[in-house]
Amino acid sequence: MKVAYWPGCVSRGFTPELHGAMEAVAPLLDLELIGIDRASCCGAGVIAEHNQELADTLNARTFALAAETPGELMMNICSTCQGAQSECQERLDASAEYRAEINTTLEAEGLAYEKGLVTNKNFLWLLVEEIGLENLKKKVKRPLTGLKVGPFYGCYIVRPTDRLGIDDENPRDQYMQMVIEALGGEVIDYAGIYKCCGFPIITMNKKASLQMAGTHLADATDADADCLVVPCPLCHLNLDLQQPMAAAEIGRDLSMPVLHLPQLVGLALGLDNKALGLSRHVIKPTSVIDWSTAVIGSTGEAGW
Amino acid sequence: MPEYTLRLRRYNPESGEAPHYEDFKVELEGHRSVLEAILQVRGEQDGSIGVRCSCRAAICGSCGVRTNGKPGLACHTHLDAAAKNSKHGENVIVVEPMGNMPVIKDLIVDMEEVHWKKIRRVTPWLVAKEPVPEREYIVPHEAMVDVTQTMACIQCGACVSDCLTMEMDPLFVGPAALAKAYRFVGDPRDAEQGQRLKDLAEDPHGIYDCTHCFQCIEACPKGVAPMSQIMRLRRRAGSDFHVDDRNNGHRHEMAFVKNIRKNGLLHEADLLPDSYGGKFHPRAVPELLSSLPVVLRALKTGKVTVKKALLHEHKASPEIERIFDTVENREVRLEYNLYISGNEDDLADDPADAVAPAATATLAPPVVEEQAVEAPPEPPVAEAPAAEAAPAETPAAPAPDAEEAPAADPAAEIEVEAPAEGEPTEGDTQ
Amino acid sequence: MPSHDVLIIGAGLAGQRAALAAAEKGATVAIISKVHPVRSHSVAAAGGINAALNPEDSWESHAFDTVKGSDYLGDQDAIEVMCKEAPNEILWLEHAGVTFHRNDVGQLGTRAFGGASQARTYYVADITGQAILHVLYEQLMKHHEQIDRYEEWFTTELLLDDSGNCVGAVCRNIRDGQLQIFNAKSVILASGGAGQAFKPTTNALICTGDGIAQAYQIGAPLMDMEMIQYHPTTLAENGFLITEGARGEGAHLYNALGERFMEKYAPNKLELASRDVVSRAEQTEINEGRGFPDGTIALDITKVPRKRTLEALREIVNIGRDFAGVDITREPIHIKPGMHYIMGGVKTDVDGQTPINGLYAAGEVACVSVHGGNRLGANSLLDTLIFGRRSGEHAADQALSKAMPSTSHSKIADTQRKFDSILNRDAGGRRISEIKNELGETMNRYAAVYRDQAGLETAHEIVRRLKEEAAVAPVDDKGTVFNQDLLGAVELEYMLDVAECIVVGAKERKESRGAQFRTDFPERNDAEWLKHIDVSRNGDDAPSVTYSPVTITKWEPQERTY
Repeated sequence: MKVAYWPGCVSRGFTPELHGAMEAVAPLLDLELIGIDRASCCGAGVIAEHNQELADTLNARTFALAAETPGELMMNICSTCQGAQSECQERLDASAEYRAEINTTLEAEGLAYEKGLVTNKNFLWLLVEEIGLENLKKKVKRPLTGLKVGPFYGCYIVRPTDRLGIDDENPRDQYMQMVIEALGGEVIDYAGIYKCCGFPIITMNKKASLQMAGTHLADATDADADCLVVPCPLCHLNLDLQQPMAAAEIGRDLSMPVLHLPQLVGLALGLDNKALGLSRHVIKPTSVIDWSTAVIGSTGEAGW
Repeated sequence: MPEYTLRLRRYNPESGEAPHYEDFKVELEGHRSVLEAILQVRGEQDGSIGVRCSCRAAICGSCGVRTNGKPGLACHTHLDAAAKNSKHGENVIVVEPMGNMPVIKDLIVDMEEVHWKKIRRVTPWLVAKEPVPEREYIVPHEAMVDVTQTMACIQCGACVSDCLTMEMDPLFVGPAALAKAYRFVGDPRDAEQGQRLKDLAEDPHGIYDCTHCFQCIEACPKGVAPMSQIMRLRRRAGSDFHVDDRNNGHRHEMAFVKNIRKNGLLHEADLLPDSYGGKFHPRAVPELLSSLPVVLRALKTGKVTVKKALLHEHKASPEIERIFDTVENREVRLEYNLYISGNEDDLADDPADAVAPAATATLAPPVVEEQAVEAPPEPPVAEAPAAEAAPAETPAAPAPDAEEAPAADPAAEIEVEAPAEGEPTEGDTQ
Repeated sequence: MPSHDVLIIGAGLAGQRAALAAAEKGATVAIISKVHPVRSHSVAAAGGINAALNPEDSWESHAFDTVKGSDYLGDQDAIEVMCKEAPNEILWLEHAGVTFHRNDVGQLGTRAFGGASQARTYYVADITGQAILHVLYEQLMKHHEQIDRYEEWFTTELLLDDSGNCVGAVCRNIRDGQLQIFNAKSVILASGGAGQAFKPTTNALICTGDGIAQAYQIGAPLMDMEMIQYHPTTLAENGFLITEGARGEGAHLYNALGERFMEKYAPNKLELASRDVVSRAEQTEINEGRGFPDGTIALDITKVPRKRTLEALREIVNIGRDFAGVDITREPIHIKPGMHYIMGGVKTDVDGQTPINGLYAAGEVACVSVHGGNRLGANSLLDTLIFGRRSGEHAADQALSKAMPSTSHSKIADTQRKFDSILNRDAGGRRISEIKNELGETMNRYAAVYRDQAGLETAHEIVRRLKEEAAVAPVDDKGTVFNQDLLGAVELEYMLDVAECIVVGAKERKESRGAQFRTDFPERNDAEWLKHIDVSRNGDDAPSVTYSPVTITKWEPQERTY
């Protein structure tokens, strides 16, 4: 399957291992990633906060560029991109007049946003809805047997439910649990699954931000999770990169590995730690690596 | 008729017992509400169950509760829908009091102590513009529809219940009160919009304390979308009233915008110092020092390379800059507000078109936001530039040159302001 | 004990407006409500508020429409006051911040409403009551230094001094069960209607006739109690209201044969005839077998342009979707007449004064009478505000020239004894909820759109029996914190008193006028019945009936057609 691939900014910035893992996993899932090279940041909600039309125009441009690729749909690997782009798309699709206004700005570049052309799905949605869990199961080489994984969605991909198309037919707020199980892992239920990592207020209210991250990490620890998995690199920043500070903020030792979704999928599909960039995390995913070495036994991949 | 197990969280401060859960069986059609189930149980089985309720129709706002973990009105939650996602067993519906507020008894929480105190925090009444006209204020139709969205708030507390910032920072003014604030900031008849915005931007627990988690939008039974209103408060505070708050809120927004204009993609290494006013801003120093270990750790693990931290790998294409210039140089910001203008899909195939003249069945134009403090009583009514816009295939007029109008570029503006000596609120960052 | 110049019981539109008016006059004010003020049932008023504010309109036209709507039972002096003062009240609300709908040039815009000869209904989408109530509450918060709010306090009794002046009330703090005497120079009842005596009803669970019964208990006469409004468009299953605004915006009514039957009953005004006429027409269609199998009529809102519906009728779009599973922009919704409003109440003059010195009443609890036999849509909000304000002003004026009366603390012990006796009732009696259900179903069967002597006699017998049962109905909750069970027992007594007065009035009026249609007396009979029926408490517990004249100023009774 060919997809117009939108990695976002952070997966090529502070969490390069995410982009790398996605590129490594894609062929195993028969995904051909066609980069939307000229596209810009989705705005992460901040540009929309500053100027809604600006965010809508930038994302309309991204959609228009995606439409020019031979991809069947557009795929992102970031909850925040999904949420911010869905919000813009909702407005763009609401009014022909508004679309025309936005397209006037895009015209100079020979681009136009056309309603109904581009479906934008996070890798998580694509896994369940396009690849299919049965199909995914068949591709598993190393089931995550015994690995206790806590899902952490990130706000933008679960709320608001109507904008994101979460309903009985598409229970997208259950997909992480379904994927973890399809990969053979054990889902850990804990209080933080649908909560906020705190990243958006890290510069405005650092204390509350770190408290959020710390609390969810601690809750997952108490629920006996071996690791968390996130479909959002911004969550990863607060949960992994800032984990030492979050630990200090809540006054408790934390050592909770946080995996990007493609990393978890990659592990089960037989990719090694290095290919998935697991060593690039601030919190070493020791438990996960121990687990993987235990499973693969003699492959000698244990080293960093 | 289906049977449901209603599992109520009971708490009676006089009993000396800890809070506990009690199961009741009810037989009711699935489309009946959780409130009806509670009232049936109270009427027939246990009259001591405490729950506030009145209208039964999602208008009075009394019966805010958490049903199977989700905040909302008990009268507005269908039994079948609530049971569907139950983690507690088939047809088990757990009803608990709302969060973030102290429990008084059973499902009754102390809204006065939290919710109403916060409402009173935002000067919740119109400060009428002088002179008060003899007849009504003349204000645009759309402006009244716009503030009616926040006026539709029934003060049920569902958004407060699950506000994720308030969970960590109980002093956060919160979604309901900030939506109430927009009700005045968006009201062209209010004389104190600038003051209100400065107040709420400077408050460390004000508009910039919202973590953008959408919980309040999801929880609200009346479509108030508190978080969207908070974002509009930020937009108006920063862009229209130039409030340079002590919480780095506006600076962070402008740093982000500048970053994307320059790089196309986010360049994180610049974002942090710029959010504090630039690398050399006095406020930036302690923040940067405190995050140094994190950056060092990132460098050490190979997550971030020195090259990546220091050099700009991406450069925005001229197209991105042109879009920024075009949109940001408009005299008035365009905002397509779904609450005011609706969705074209909802209007398709209107049978009333066959009966009534179809004149009213088109979409309202995108609404132009009122911009300035000293705006005349009648802010510009939307001019519907979209209506005249050419379809995409038509050759377009050449885009305005980016170089021509740098003056109004907010990114440029913030650079000018960057070192900002003599900031009055210097000590407040910690 | 808290002492104030003016004590206001009830914090809906009438109560809050009275509080603001009294405070503006310089009085100290306490406003007490058994629920938080914004939960008051005024919040549910949807469609709008009438006023002849357009230059082309006139207060006389508004007044005539109101008189005609009342089937000439309304007192015309009071109607004149209300209609003359309406335009300024709208402007006062607008200046206070109500987000009234604007037309294309930014002025106040109107919508059409039932029984009105002009489009003179001002509105905020279909949440007009909510918008006004919340704005008044904003003003209460603003004027907190003069107005003490007692939120979630339940009034149990009005207090008279030895000379028969009303000097305060006994109230229970719902939060902790503490009893308190509120001492005041003037007392304004603004505690709303009694819809919960019927089942189903559009009214909220809190509308239990408290103030009507409390005034009745201390000897105040009740007037026009037989006049119960059945709203033409309520949901069959739960009684929820679909605003008259829907028909004001152009919705049609159809029977099961697809006939727009209002052509027969009101060839000129059609769906916008007055409510009694439309409800009766619907009930006739249903009774004669032309309704839908579930005993309903179809309200077709798809006639209204969808964009207009989505903007101006948002709330009923939600109600249709959430409570009936119907998208009203795409299909008709099934409705039937349902109990909505009591035109009668505590008899007052145009300043809200009851015959008991020091006691005022305003809003649905009161009967001025501006609604007579049938209230026009969008006149109730107006009634609450005009007479709430006038009561507040008059009560403040009176209070400011009086000394604070003294009240004996012994009343607290009496009330406590009463509560204790309720708490100590033996188990084994009928449950409160059962009695309440039987009351509601009885009233809805015998005191509804069509009535007759035999049915009303039956209803009266049942109500008398229920009173006996209620007196021994046990409560489960023995505590003090939020003992809603105990208060439910008291409310049940209130409802039964009100129900009895309704039935007594309806039995007494042997004619058909406004909302009262007697199948055994199907004609209006001005010669004998162009008068108010006043019901008072006679000694122990038996209501007695007297009459008072209808005030006619300009408009002599004529035949009433729409």
